[in-house]
Order: sequence, then C-alpha cells, then structure tokens
Amino acid sequence: MLARVADNLFWMGRYIERAEHTARYLNVNYFSSLDAPNTTSQSRDFVLRSMLFLVGEPAEKSEKLDEDKVLYRIGMDRGFSPSIINSISYARENALSARDLISTELYESINKFYHFADSYPTKKFVKTGLYEFTSQVTEMTAVLRGKIRGTLLHDSIYAIIMMGVNLERALQITRIINAKYNDAKKSPGSYGDRFRNSFEWTTLLKCAESYDMMRRHYKKTPNSLCTLEFLILNPRCPRSVMNSLNQVYRHVRTLDPLKIHDKDSTAFKVGKVRAEYQFKRIEDIEGDVQAFIEHILNELSEIGIQMEKEFFHY
Amino acid sequence: MSGDNTTIFTSYDRNPKLYDELYDPDGKVTKVYKKLFKLYGKHSIADYYELNNKAKASFFNQGITFRVYSEEKTNEKIFPFDLFPRIIGAAEWEHIESGVKQRCLALNKFLWDLYHDREILRDGVVPLELVTTSENYLDQMIGVDPPGGIYTHISGTDIIRHNDGKFYVLEDNIRCPSGVSYVLSNRTALKRALFGVFNHYNAHTVTNYAENLLELLETVKPAGVDIPTTVVLTPGMYNSAFYEHSYLAKTMGVELVEGRDLFVENDFVYMKTIAGPEKVDIIYRRIDDAFLDPLEFRKDSSLGVPGLFAAYKKGNVTIANAPGTGVADDKAVYTYMPDIIRYYLDEEPILNNVKTYHCSRKDELEYVLEHIRELVVKPVDEAGGYGISIGNTLTDEQVEQVRKDLRASPRKYVAQPILSLSVHPTYIEESQSFEQRHIDLRTFTVMGPEKSFVLKGGLTRVALRKGNLIVNSSQGGGSKDTWVLKK
Repeated sequence: MLARVADNLFWMGRYIERAEHTARYLNVNYFSSLDAPNTTSQSRDFVLRSMLFLVGEPAEKSEKLDEDKVLYRIGMDRGFSPSIINSISYARENALSARDLISTELYESINKFYHFADSYPTKKFVKTGLYEFTSQVTEMTAVLRGKIRGTLLHDSIYAIIMMGVNLERALQITRIINAKYNDAKKSPGSYGDRFRNSFEWTTLLKCAESYDMMRRHYKKTPNSLCTLEFLILNPRCPRSVMNSLNQVYRHVRTLDPLKIHDKDSTAFKVGKVRAEYQFKRIEDIEGDVQAFIEHILNELSEIGIQMEKEFFHY
Repeated sequence: MSGDNTTIFTSYDRNPKLYDELYDPDGKVTKVYKKLFKLYGKHSIADYYELNNKAKASFFNQGITFRVYSEEKTNEKIFPFDLFPRIIGAAEWEHIESGVKQRCLALNKFLWDLYHDREILRDGVVPLELVTTSENYLDQMIGVDPPGGIYTHISGTDIIRHNDGKFYVLEDNIRCPSGVSYVLSNRTALKRALFGVFNHYNAHTVTNYAENLLELLETVKPAGVDIPTTVVLTPGMYNSAFYEHSYLAKTMGVELVEGRDLFVENDFVYMKTIAGPEKVDIIYRRIDDAFLDPLEFRKDSSLGVPGLFAAYKKGNVTIANAPGTGVADDKAVYTYMPDIIRYYLDEEPILNNVKTYHCSRKDELEYVLEHIRELVVKPVDEAGGYGISIGNTLTDEQVEQVRKDLRASPRKYVAQPILSLSVHPTYIEESQSFEQRHIDLRTFTVMGPEKSFVLKGGLTRVALRKGNLIVNSSQGGGSKDTWVLKK
C-alpha cells in the first residue's frame, strides 16, 4: 500500500470516529440536561460551556453564550476545523483519494453520509434538528464501521483504518472524560461524597454509549470510581481506553508481525503504553485524574507521530 | 402502468430529414428496437419521471460526479444520463469492430515508422511538414523501441452515423482517451432502474474491460520481469476524470498512484509504500506527455516523475500509451487515414473517413473561405469540442472572424462538410418528454502485440441541447447505455 494513501485511510478512520463522538456529546449532554436533578446541570449555559470545552475552545467565564451560535459552530461551521460537518467532509475527502482501495459499498455509504450532512439545513439544525441530526450521525458512523469490518479485506489496509479508528477513540474518550470530570467538579451530587456522586458521571457514560453495560457490570448507580474504571481500564468495555489500546496493538501487528519489536517501532510504543494500563488500578488514577489525562494524551500523540515516521513518511 | 394514459412516445416528434436510429427508412420501428419500443411504451411519463430521478440519485450516491467550482462552495453534479439505451445489432457491430481494429493497427504501425525510418514520409504518402510542424511530435522518442512495439495500448475511436445511414470515424483518440468508466456506470444505473428490459435482449457484457486491459498491458511488460507490478498514474483527486482513474485501478486490482508516490533510482521506477520502495514495471498513465517527466518535458510539472523518461528509454518500465502518440491523432493526420491504412496494411479502410479540407493547402483554403457556411471549421489540435465553428449557425460577423483566423494561421485549421449526426429518442427533463437528439459513439480498443480487444458497447454520447451537434460532456452532453447484441 502506498504511504500517502495509508496516511489518508488512517485519517479517514480518525475523522469518522471524531464525528461520532462530537455528535453524541452534543446529543447526550443537551438532552440529559433538560431534566437533570440540579440547577447547575440543568443550566443551558453549563451545557454549552461543556460542549465548547470538548472541542478545545473553552469559553471565558464572563462570556455570554448564544445557543444558536454555539450549536452552529460545533455542528455546521466549515470555518471551524473541529466541527462535525468538517470531520465528515474530511473523512470523505480522505476516502475519495483511496477510493480504489476501499469497497464500493463503503465509499457509497461515506458519500451518502456526507451529502446528508452537507444538505442538512443549518437553521433547522440549531432550532429543532439537533436530536435528529446528531442521532443520524451516530447511526451512520455505526453503519460505516460495519462496512469497514464487513466489506474490506482484513489486511494492512484494514489494519491502518482500524488503527485510526481506535487511536481516535482512545483520544476522544479521554477528552470526554476530561470534559465531564471538569463538569462533575462544578456540579456535585447531593449526598455522601458529592464529587463522586455527581450526576455528570451518568452523562459521561452515556456520551460513551456505555451506560447500560456499566450498570450490568457493577449493578449500581455510577460514581466516579466505577465510571472511570469502566471507561479507562476495563478491556471488555468496547469504548474503554484499554480496549482501544488493545485494538491498536492488535492491528499494528498486522503491519509489523515480528515477535520482538524494534525499540523505535510503533508496535513497541503501543505495546509499552498498553502494558502500563493493563497493570494499573483505578485508585492510582482517581487520585489525580488531571495527571492521567495529560499523560495519556501525550502518549497517544506520540503513537501518532511514531506511525507517521514509520508508515506515512513519503 | 399508471392511470395517466400519456405514454412516453405519444408526443414524439420525428423530423424525417434526420436519421433516427429507432426507425427504418419507411418510418417503421427497426427490428432491434421493436421490443424496447413496446416495453418503454407501457410507461407513462410520470413513471419515467420517477425512474429518471432514481437513476440520478444512484449516480449521486455512488459519487460518479464532477465538481463545479463557484465562489461560495463547491457543487457536485452528475453527468446527464439517459435511460433509453442505444442498441447496435450484431452485424453492424461486427463492421464497427473490425473497422476500429484496422485503424488502431495502422496507427500503431504509423507511429513506429514516424519514430524510426519514416518511410511513409519518404514515399510522400503523408507530407513531411505535417509531422515536423506538429507540437505533439516528440524528438525524444526518435529511435526508442517501446516494449512489444506497442504505442497505442488504449484507443478511443469516435464514430457517427450520417443521414446516409453509413458510419464515419470522426476522430481517433490515442493519447489518454477517457469515458470507459461511464460505459460501466451507465450499465449499472440502467440495470438498477429498468432491470426488466434486460430479460428481453441478449446484450454483451461490458464488465470485462478491466481484466482485458490488465491482461494486455501485462503482455508488454519490460524484458526480464517475471510478474509485473502495474499502476495507474493519475494527476490526483481534483482531476475531473479521477472517478475513472480510481475505478480502473480498483477493477484491475492495482495501485492508483500520483507522481509524488513514485521516484526513479538507477533508471528503475519505484513507488513509496508503507513497507518501503516497491519496483513498478507498467504505468498506465492518465497524465499528458508534457507532464510526465520534468527533466525531459515541462520543467514546471509537479504531476510527473523526474527521471521517468530515462527509465523508459532504458526499457525498464512500460508507459501506456507511449509518449508521443499525439502526433498521429491530430485532425490534420486524420485526413490521411485512408492512405495510411492502405500503405501499412494493404487493405481498403473499413470505416469511412469524413472528407476533409486542409487549410494549409492553398486551393483547399480558397474553397473553405468561399464555402464557410456549408462547413465545420475545426482547430487541428484542440480537444473537448472547443474552437469549432459550424458554418450554418454563424452570424455574418462570425463568418468574417473565421475567415480572418483562417488567413492568419491556415495550418491550425481543417474543415469538413457539416455532417448530420443520427438522432435518438432522448428524455428531456425540461419538457418531460422524448425528443430527437444527436448522438455519436466512442469505442474503446485495447491492443497488445498478439491480439486486441474492443469493448462490446462503447459510450453513446448525446448532445442534450436541441439541434446541437457537439456531444462532449464539457459542452453539455449526456450519455446512454449502449447495447451490442449477440448474434
């Protein structure tokens, strides 16, 4: 596979995943705030700030936020690089340049997805369409993942795409944890350890589509400890950082099948990061979530840089 | 089929002066179209309207589109596609196929001769200045032996039917002819929309193009290569034919590369892959000669590969089509085609050539200047239907302008009688009815040293504007699925 095309496919995977998490974050936060148990979590201002925080553009304390403008910026603004429409558009551009390598079915789905988003009326989106649009985006990304898994040859092309998907997933989940951790500090719960029992932990799980399964696993109302454990360390939770790292490791070995990896290789780096979290306790993290977040974001970015050097350098 | 009794042929207005593919000279529907006429006749205009929209959506979702750039944002448009197929009977097709094969063979021999001994020029069959003044003659190719002796691996031959009922070749395209992917997507779209009609006809498949292309390309691999690595070279995803490039690479199962993915070392060509450099043996290039290699041709080319031509000259890589084929498909050489065929093959041309006046010859220039109203004046080396003046559509001022241009640079122009392209019922969206529109046919031929393959189908292009004779997509043309019937 051409190095340039591998780069494009890697980013196709990343943008698909990014579009999904951004869309779901908007959806879940907006709609779960409507009947949240306390006034902070219910406040529209609180939700909008949380959204802006996620996409890396936190609002100033004194700033007065306009709902239409914030939703437009994150959802539809082509002048704002992390917007949902841009993620979808970049995913398609990247797919287009590798059109000969992916299946017709996958390309047609991405193309339809793009046209759906491109033709969605902006005004409708900010006024009444938020739920419909973001739900549709998360549905369609699931379809795309299905087409990736179900119609592509499971070879190095597939491995590159899946590394993009999973690296981005680990990154997005970490960023979402960061945003909701921030929210939980601002909006504590009403009993016991108020930070640990914040309503925002439930929202966090829903942002990762992991609420129901977390309930099944722990059989209790989410608190900070079990939520973070589930989303960071549980290898069987498909959205966890641990699982994403496992997937990245699995796929990098398709590209680099050696048993003993070169110390400068991506596979070695991924294996090392993965090993670190495999043998960590949540208590080690919960004491200083901020430090964990900085650390893992740094590691993930280094994996990306390493991949660039090893596979996409052209 | 629906409550509305107006069928799609109710209002079909047939101009008897034009050759309508659907009717024989007595005004009866021809044998090959009879069943189709009946089947389509059952549809109401409302049915057809819906089908047409479905087919359009199918193209749009598959991304078979071209981009239109405007200030605000980029729009995507589909190529207009007509749901009423064009049918070519077995005997007629056999005539066309043997004719285009003959032309391609002669053109290939002609190119070999031009870049080697130039016998045809010495024998005075084709004038020397025609070659020496051609911008497309590449001195770099003199004495170069392309692998297998093949210059024109892929040819597109444009054919029309005149109102005398005979087929004429209008143009040979032997540089980078495009359009073959539309043959295949037209078929797909028609199958999705009107699958029922296929049961009633025994039409040849068109899906075997890519496998034949790859097979024949591999027969001209460089010497010493066992299993060749083939690639398609594209200018990139913003090129209007990018869909076709990616389609061909995908169906052949080979890499689609851009110039920046390739490099040359010690006169061998490599592509940059995730596992390091991989040697490339055969390049099906979809970029023009001028852009192939900045060391040899246009220095500002960023689409090409520095050193590619040197590797080619050493015989280490096959380029298809070979550089320098453009000298043989310009409109001035076209006029000598009957002589070229006789000279190399010792056969009479199977397909007709249109009578052509060379403005470079004094007496013929005089004739053209006096008869502009009856002629089509064409620049010798413009593609895409640009710069063509059709005599009977010009205003007095325009006629004067053409005269001026002709006198200023006669070598640049040829003129031909105005041909009346045959017409075919075509669905017109604005009037929601079938109307006569002019059509042509582009056939696709792939040639190797031992055998050649003509795609049994080809691209029927339609001039969608009423009365328009220019069918190119850049001039608002559409296309039709084309069925070649089995014997």
